[in-house]
Amino acid sequence: MSNLIFVVEDSDEDVEAIERAIGRSHPALRREFFRSGADVLAGLTEPGRERPWLMLLDLNMPGESGLDVVRAVRARPELDEVRLVVFTSSEDQAEADACHAAGADSYVYKPLNFALFQSVLSQTLDYWRSRSRSGNVARMVVPPPGDSSAQT
Amino acid sequence: MGDPDLGWAATLHRMWTSVGRISARDELAQLILPPLQALPGVVAVWGLRHAPDDGSILEYRWTGVPLEGANRDLARAAASGRTPEELSALGFAGMLRDRFDLPGEAAGTILVAVDETADVPVVQACLGQVIEVTREAIRRLGQRRAEHAQQTRDALLAEASLQMDAVLDTTQTMQRVPRMAVPAIAEGCLVFVIEDGRPVLRSSVHVDMRRLATLLGDPAVVAHLDHLVGRAVLGGPLPDVDTALLSTRAVDLQPLHARGEVVGALVFLFDREASAIPPSSFLRDLASRAALAIDNGTRYERRSQDVVTMQQHLLPTRLPAVEGLEFAAAYLVGDRILEVGGDFYDVVTGPDGTVAALIGDVCGRGVDAAALTGMARHTLAALLQEGHTPQRAMARLNARLRLDGSWRFVTAGVARLRSVAGGVAVEWVSAGHPAPVVLRHASGPERGHGGGAILGVLGEPRISESELFLAPGDTLIIFTDGLTESRGPDGVMFEDDALGETLDRLRGRPLDELVHELSTASAAFGGSRTDDIAVLAIRAGKEQLR
Repeated sequence: MSNLIFVVEDSDEDVEAIERAIGRSHPALRREFFRSGADVLAGLTEPGRERPWLMLLDLNMPGESGLDVVRAVRARPELDEVRLVVFTSSEDQAEADACHAAGADSYVYKPLNFALFQSVLSQTLDYWRSRSRSGNVARMVVPPPGDSSAQT
Repeated sequence: MGDPDLGWAATLHRMWTSVGRISARDELAQLILPPLQALPGVVAVWGLRHAPDDGSILEYRWTGVPLEGANRDLARAAASGRTPEELSALGFAGMLRDRFDLPGEAAGTILVAVDETADVPVVQACLGQVIEVTREAIRRLGQRRAEHAQQTRDALLAEASLQMDAVLDTTQTMQRVPRMAVPAIAEGCLVFVIEDGRPVLRSSVHVDMRRLATLLGDPAVVAHLDHLVGRAVLGGPLPDVDTALLSTRAVDLQPLHARGEVVGALVFLFDREASAIPPSSFLRDLASRAALAIDNGTRYERRSQDVVTMQQHLLPTRLPAVEGLEFAAAYLVGDRILEVGGDFYDVVTGPDGTVAALIGDVCGRGVDAAALTGMARHTLAALLQEGHTPQRAMARLNARLRLDGSWRFVTAGVARLRSVAGGVAVEWVSAGHPAPVVLRHASGPERGHGGGAILGVLGEPRISESELFLAPGDTLIIFTDGLTESRGPDGVMFEDDALGETLDRLRGRPLDELVHELSTASAAFGGSRTDDIAVLAIRAGKEQLR
């Protein structure tokens, strides 16, 4: 399983908070940020580009919304395995229903409090990682740059 | 047996310092495996994380020889204490192993493959030290995770209280509760309320939307949940939860108590490890806040409905049909007010066919005001219907109010309508009531006169009289002060800012539409308006009055 996730978010504050939260809870996950639906859809069609195992989508963005991205991704069978998590402060049940109907995997509330924000993201990633795990995860270990402990 | 050297001591010290800074277990392998790999004679270092429940391997980490494909079978065998022959084909002369176990945490095994040149006792000693460092690092991570979980629960309670206090709409509250809980504290949350003695699922959220749909689409699951909630309502011990049927690791059910009764239940579904499930006391606390919010909302909605119903009883159910005249009325109940207001209106026809449209406003709200409202409307309507003049009817109402000794006063206005050549003559009689508006068919709105004094205060009422004329298509609009005095955020009244413009826009519109849009425009202008709005409009048709 890839350890790459795509984050589609237009708000600077939310990009910073998501980076900080996932950096703390899941530092081994690689994060790639996109500022619009159009950007991420272009990224997904780029030949040879690594595909993520999960996409975290803001719902309300200028241009293509998170819902548009869900529809576009689900229209491509080769991306069936990609988990789509809508992460939004919207409370509209109709939007949640529309995301579900379009093929989103999660519709998750975006809290204001950072501790809660971090927990919500962390639990969502843990949940989908455990569901995506085909038995286990393997990874080669590379020592962190600048740390000389391996040189002894 | 040799001892690890000074360089290893420095390495171990650095490792200890580094692992104290990590925030996730995923970061650990890159700190602990490479130093072992760097020991003389070490060919590979393999790390295995064991699942807490069934002992299967959750994660593999390695340096040196990749831990992929068939090597994983070898690693699992080696971790369980065996030494498969195939290891020698990888150039391993020996395989050292050590393992740590911590309550509530996934256990780990580190395997170190060595060649013939390795000082096995030294490597084994180093491995033992790394295992100790790892155990301590994971213990600290667990401690920090517990602190973070506590912070999350505190934040959730604070946010839940804030969010639930902000709404009085039970539907919204019932959607907010599970949305906030999932996935912060549970993978799924269902809200049941008791309706007609039966549990009804009102809201449900799961981190996995498809799984939730599948669950709730299974009649056996629905029946089991109904059974659980039904038993919770009755009190006493809960029956066993069929977690296999619910496809979940654990379930918690918290009854929703309000005013000594169980009004529903929250059902939490957990897939996470037992150590990450919040304590029941926390879930109980969350449920009690949710129950309070749902109960407040239910009471508010019931009260609002009662107020609307009672208000409707104080108003005419229909206005009379009069040839040559068209009537329409609108009444908006103050949005944030849970008491009956005192606005009233009516249209009556006298013995000689004269039509009188009356409107009034009893000051204050509540049961007393409602009683006076009914009395004022019926007094004025009955006297006008019997043929008394508006002045006489108002004088009688004034006397009656003074006799009752109520401190409440009344403003009232009566428009007497007579057919004359070319239109309708209007005699407007006012006792402290807002001036009417005439919306001309052919031009803009004109304001009439108010005047007179409120009824119920003076021994001799002071009543003002003025004349208006309606040409065919002109509309007389009479209303209570809730319409004109609704205030925008800057304190400016609708009357001073938007009334003229709104009337201009509504000129020529059907009468029902006109009264509806006029009253809602004022309500929207006021936003959190605090008063009722009554509007009665009379349009002169082409037909002549008798």
